[in-house]
Amino acid sequence: MGIQKDRVRFNVGGRIFETSSTTLANAGRNSFFGAIFDENWTLQSDHSDEYFIDRNPDCFAVILDLLRTGELYIPANISEKLLYREALFYGLLDHVRSAKWGQFDGNRLRLSESITGQAPGDGTAIRAGPDGGCCVAHGSMVHVYDWMLEEHAPITLDYQRVNDVGWIDSENIVISVCERLGRGDGGMGLFSSSTGELRDKFQVNHENQVKSFTAGALSFSSDYKIFSSCKGRSNEYGIGVWDQVTGKQIDFFYEPPGWSLGDADKLQWLHGSNCLLVATLFPRKDNCYISLLDFRDKKMVWSWSDSGAPITVDEKRVRDAIAMEENNSICVVNEFEDLGFMDLRSTAGSIRWSSRSRLMKGNNMPDEPCYPKLALHEGQLFSSMNDCISVFCGPEWVLTSRLRQSYRLRQSYGGSICDFSIGGDRLFALHSEENVFDIWETPPPPII
Amino acid sequence: MSNQKKRNFQIEAFKHRVVVDPKYAEKTWNILEHAIHEIYNHNASGLSFEELYRNAYNMVLHKFGDKLYSGLVTTMTSHLKEISKSIEDAQGSLFLEELHRKWDDHNKALQMIRDILMYMDRTYIPSTQKTPVHELGMNLWRDNIIHSGKIQTRLLNTLLELVLKERTGEVINRGLMRNIIKMLMDLGSSVYQGDFERPFLEVSAEFYRGESQKFIECCDCGDYLKKAERRLNEEMERVTHYLDAQSETKITNVVEKEMIANHMVRLIQMENSGLVNMLLDDKYEDLGRMYVLFRRVQDGLLKIREVMTSHIRETGKQLVTDPERLKDPVEFVQRLLDEKDKYDNIITLSFNNDKTFQNALNSSFEYFINLNARSPEFISLFVDEKLRKGLKGVSEEDVEIILDKVMMLFRYLQEKDVFEKYYKQHLAKRLLSGKTVSDDAERSLIVKLKTECGYQFTSKLEGMFTDMKTSQDTMHGFYASHPELGDGPTLTVQVLTTGSWPTQPSATCNLPAEMSVLCEKFRAYYLGTHTGRRLSWQTNMGTADIKATFGKGQKHELNVSTYQMCVLMLFNNADRLNYKEIEQATEIPASDLKRCLQSMACVKGKNVLRKEPMSKDIGEDDAFFVNDKFTSKFYKVKIGTVVAQKESEPEKQETRQRVEEDRKPQIEAAIVRIMKSRRQLDHNNIIAEVTKQLQSRFLANPTEIKKRIESLIERDFLERDNSDRKLYRYLA
Repeated sequence: MGIQKDRVRFNVGGRIFETSSTTLANAGRNSFFGAIFDENWTLQSDHSDEYFIDRNPDCFAVILDLLRTGELYIPANISEKLLYREALFYGLLDHVRSAKWGQFDGNRLRLSESITGQAPGDGTAIRAGPDGGCCVAHGSMVHVYDWMLEEHAPITLDYQRVNDVGWIDSENIVISVCERLGRGDGGMGLFSSSTGELRDKFQVNHENQVKSFTAGALSFSSDYKIFSSCKGRSNEYGIGVWDQVTGKQIDFFYEPPGWSLGDADKLQWLHGSNCLLVATLFPRKDNCYISLLDFRDKKMVWSWSDSGAPITVDEKRVRDAIAMEENNSICVVNEFEDLGFMDLRSTAGSIRWSSRSRLMKGNNMPDEPCYPKLALHEGQLFSSMNDCISVFCGPEWVLTSRLRQSYRLRQSYGGSICDFSIGGDRLFALHSEENVFDIWETPPPPII
Repeated sequence: MSNQKKRNFQIEAFKHRVVVDPKYAEKTWNILEHAIHEIYNHNASGLSFEELYRNAYNMVLHKFGDKLYSGLVTTMTSHLKEISKSIEDAQGSLFLEELHRKWDDHNKALQMIRDILMYMDRTYIPSTQKTPVHELGMNLWRDNIIHSGKIQTRLLNTLLELVLKERTGEVINRGLMRNIIKMLMDLGSSVYQGDFERPFLEVSAEFYRGESQKFIECCDCGDYLKKAERRLNEEMERVTHYLDAQSETKITNVVEKEMIANHMVRLIQMENSGLVNMLLDDKYEDLGRMYVLFRRVQDGLLKIREVMTSHIRETGKQLVTDPERLKDPVEFVQRLLDEKDKYDNIITLSFNNDKTFQNALNSSFEYFINLNARSPEFISLFVDEKLRKGLKGVSEEDVEIILDKVMMLFRYLQEKDVFEKYYKQHLAKRLLSGKTVSDDAERSLIVKLKTECGYQFTSKLEGMFTDMKTSQDTMHGFYASHPELGDGPTLTVQVLTTGSWPTQPSATCNLPAEMSVLCEKFRAYYLGTHTGRRLSWQTNMGTADIKATFGKGQKHELNVSTYQMCVLMLFNNADRLNYKEIEQATEIPASDLKRCLQSMACVKGKNVLRKEPMSKDIGEDDAFFVNDKFTSKFYKVKIGTVVAQKESEPEKQETRQRVEEDRKPQIEAAIVRIMKSRRQLDHNNIIAEVTKQLQSRFLANPTEIKKRIESLIERDFLERDNSDRKLYRYLA
């Protein structure tokens, strides 16, 4: 920065601020302050006295404090929205976002907010975006919220029922929907997260013919591929693969007889082994099928199913599954929130259940129970059950925390948690009884 | 006051939230447009960044983003069109400078415009998916300047002209060149490639095609390669100075193709200066250059290798089949070693120790060394020579080096068993005559042979060394148990194990009485300490030191063979003896006796005997006397036996036969081993497997293998299959 003296004087909306050029350097070149002190501009005019900025001085004070300390404190008299608007003017919105909440840690989460939406009916899925936003699928609509929790234009694909939704990046969302009978609608679409406009529609080709299809679970790989479970009209079931950049279908893994791929509940891309986990679970099918697909040589490299196994008294049925590559295992959960583990290195796998006594079993059961869901984030395992999310850590997966709205703050109580998602250093939990979702954040680190 | 009035009272709803000046957008844009003009005219000192930024912000906020954006496109385009004109007007060499100056200005202006429009860049552009300001500025520059009709070809021609100037030795402004090329790269790789790189590569190919044609007509191979190397380096340097790093492989490919790949064969075969001449004259530098350059093109090294291989084979073949060379085995082997050294040096110094070249060299040597059936014998003779005297005064390291080189030649031999046979003979002679220079060197070679061919190969050779050692101990024991023998003649016996040593036809001669008494005592002692053994005397291999006094009292110590000693001792009791008498008294075989007498009576300086009549050869009727006039300036006189160092023709045949004889059991053993594990096998496979098993020792002859199979069938080791006569079965 071509600025001679270290002291800088601003007159913001009539209030005088003094700061140092070092503080302002924290704003970066690509900001209002970066530009105003660039030699292109400082050489032009003589600013011996002060810079006048015609903006809100209260917000400027907060933002200047953020530049000074890297921490964000919003006084009660300033609304967050006002502050965000001012930060956007200075080109410092990203600074505000990264100071707003701390780095994700499942054991230090605090409920930051609950948002109530207008959509009727049950929520299908909630997905956290990479920069703190989220999207919620309700029936045939997907509602998109940015990290400031401002709602953007909703997304819909031919008003067909949404099965799954996912973020490719902070700007792009893919949704998968049911096929509409008799027409070529449905399938999958790529949308702008900020404007909600349809950017691309993915098609399935069978024998060089474009077929309409129902798209189910979604997953994305780091090498720009999109995977989706597909059901076609004439029993063309399997997993489709598309290129994120061109939008073209590049592969299709047909469902082998006696197995299930096209109905899958869950897809998970495994970066380390370059495989896709496909899980079809009870009650979508009578039996559970979990397999790992290697697309390079079109092989099912690992598989497990409970078909043919005798049904035991306590009937432990797998309700969700997640691969944990670092532990070479797959974690599964049953309807009593018992965790089970399978070894990925042996193909003749059986589930090793870790039975834990569950106090909440029986009592405190909500009217409308939800099936448990699993998530993994940097070595922490999360599982949802009823209105509560449990956090497990360590090699033995010890229960370390439990996330639940406290009873006192239940003005927006939404009942059981039907889905949750972790991303952008936030955890989003969607309730099933009321259209409410919670945002859990890690607070910024303590002062000392 | 009436109710009527009250009823008419209405409150009008606000139509507009904020009354916006209808000309607001126009006014604001005019301010910004003016600022852009001022920026391009280097007159921005009067501008307030804060004000401009706020204006642009407000336009976007009040939904005039598209007006702002399209205004920017129009304004910038019109400025670029003006700039385009001023660049077109630049004369001659000023053209590039003007282009570069304007490019700098544009970049600076673009940065400032982007600063003002930062808010638009951040919010309006992503949501409308328009081109960001910086990229827009680049695209507009590309479309209005670089791709304008009057500039595009002129720019390309100017750049190519400058490159040509530099290639022909002129100095150009590389800095300016770099800036212009950098501009093309900044505009995107498609601009750099389309507007410069592709035509540049085409022109370069043409240039080097012409130049290489010119050079190859007038230069010799070495000079041509030097020039090609220089051109290649120049192009790489050019890339580092002012081209995109990714162009390097492309332009070097062009030079490689035009200057090397297209002329490869012609360069290698160039008369008087091609590859063969370089090899002959050890032109390490030229060869190295050829290697480095040819490696860059496909099949380049293959071509070099082919020519080198055929050259080595040709010269090697001449060497080993030249009848002149066969006269001196040591020289023969030395020439082989020199040849090997020469090519080792070439491969090390010029060919980067390339494994494929080493392999080619090895296979060539293997090819021609085995063209001469006497190679194994000669190599053994060379070792013999070195171990007898050649290594005197040579340091231990140098000995190792020589032995290693010999081992290298040994590795090339197909008939390693023939070598073993000769080596055994030569080693026996060395050990028995005590001619070995260095025991360490002998043992070191044995170890090398052992690592090369295994324990079996050297066990007998090692046995020979053990015999020598035990004999020494035995002799100590013998004299310790017979203290009374101190005064008489001294007997040294070497007890050799039968089988370990090359068998010699044993014909015991009559020893002088003094000696035979001593021998009997030794026999008694030896058989007394070792039961169940048999001793037989190999008098043909012994030596003796005897003291002699001649006519005028000259005293000498004579170093002679056992046979010679027997003959000389006869003259203690007689002055004159004729041939028949000597033969009868000693019972030495006739051929040996003749040789022995010849060496004592006919060799000048060693003629301790006198013969009548005087002639070169020994006749059956000749008579012998002590030569009273014998003189020598040495006290000790060594009288050699006339021996053929190299094998004579019949001896050679005999050795050959022995080798063939020894191979038979080995081949049979191999056949049995193979059949035992395979149970049944067809003829061709047996031949192949046997050959493979035995190749570390010798190259088995298929007809010989067939004979051995027949013999094994006769002896009921194998049988033929009844239906398939080519199939053999193992009979347990």
